[in-house]
Amino acid sequence: MGLIGDRRIRPKERETTTVFATEPPWLLQLQGFSGNYRGLSSSLKPFSILQEDEFHKLANVTMNHLLEKIEDYGDNVQIDGFDIDYGNEVLTLKLGSLGTYVLNKQTPNRQIWMSSPVSGPSRFDWDREANAWIYRRTEAKLHKLLEEELESLCGEPIQLS
Amino acid sequence: MMMIRQAAKKALGLTSRQSTPCSVGIFRSYHENVIDHYDNPRNVGSFDKNDPTVGTGLVGAPACGDVMKLQIKVDEKTGQIVDARFKTFGCGSAIASSSVATEWVKGKAMEEVLTIKNTEIAKHLSLPPVKLHCSMLAEDAIKAAVKDYKEKRVKTNGA
Repeated sequence: MGLIGDRRIRPKERETTTVFATEPPWLLQLQGFSGNYRGLSSSLKPFSILQEDEFHKLANVTMNHLLEKIEDYGDNVQIDGFDIDYGNEVLTLKLGSLGTYVLNKQTPNRQIWMSSPVSGPSRFDWDREANAWIYRRTEAKLHKLLEEELESLCGEPIQLS
Repeated sequence: MMMIRQAAKKALGLTSRQSTPCSVGIFRSYHENVIDHYDNPRNVGSFDKNDPTVGTGLVGAPACGDVMKLQIKVDEKTGQIVDARFKTFGCGSAIASSSVATEWVKGKAMEEVLTIKNTEIAKHLSLPPVKLHCSMLAEDAIKAAVKDYKEKRVKTNGA
């Protein structure tokens, strides 16, 4: 992975970004972004909504809450190979042959990213009005989506909200 | 006595291989398709983004660790993508995903490439759960390139 920190990048108007797939990091030349800059969140600019400390507070509460609830859930359902781990701010939930969930904080975008064996990758932004993490593309709420998927995978309902 | 027996076993190559990481299953490597695309990336490069037949999709953010630029060259008469180039800053999975994307869009109609799903790319590269986001970014890059081309066409036709 490259070592470009966001502090070194200053967007310039109408210039292309030149990045190289196989250059060593110290040779990477970043010449700013073209007018086409797109953040990962399709409708939000990354830094417009949450301040970083607010994001951390909200996201940490969410991650810890999920960890606790899913841990309890695991004690009640009989899933071979059930394992949940939270380390380095990455929550990994193994459901044996049913697949693996990975949830992590994506701080630069103020998002929580999820990788699901059911719905694939999704990225949740904090919606103040709804008081929930929402995936803009599908309007899915993180807690609700997990509830539905876990119930369909493991057969037992779970209350995460 | 035990030590002699162990030494003899070792000499005969009969000891268990528990010390070797590979045999315990904790060892995880990139799928060979990913390594192939990393060692031999297809279609690395750029087109002139001011060329009216070129659509440029730029997705991602360096702060997140992944930036992909995918460009398509379209035959104006047929609407088919005749060539593609990519440049990606990111992990091996991101590079491989965008490399695969450039391979898959060549020779296809624009409407058809919009149906390329991140799940297909992820399956082709056997991406682990944590890297599914790379394949999604590649899908986004394709869509962004097509969108850019269409917007440019509207501009030139409208002008």
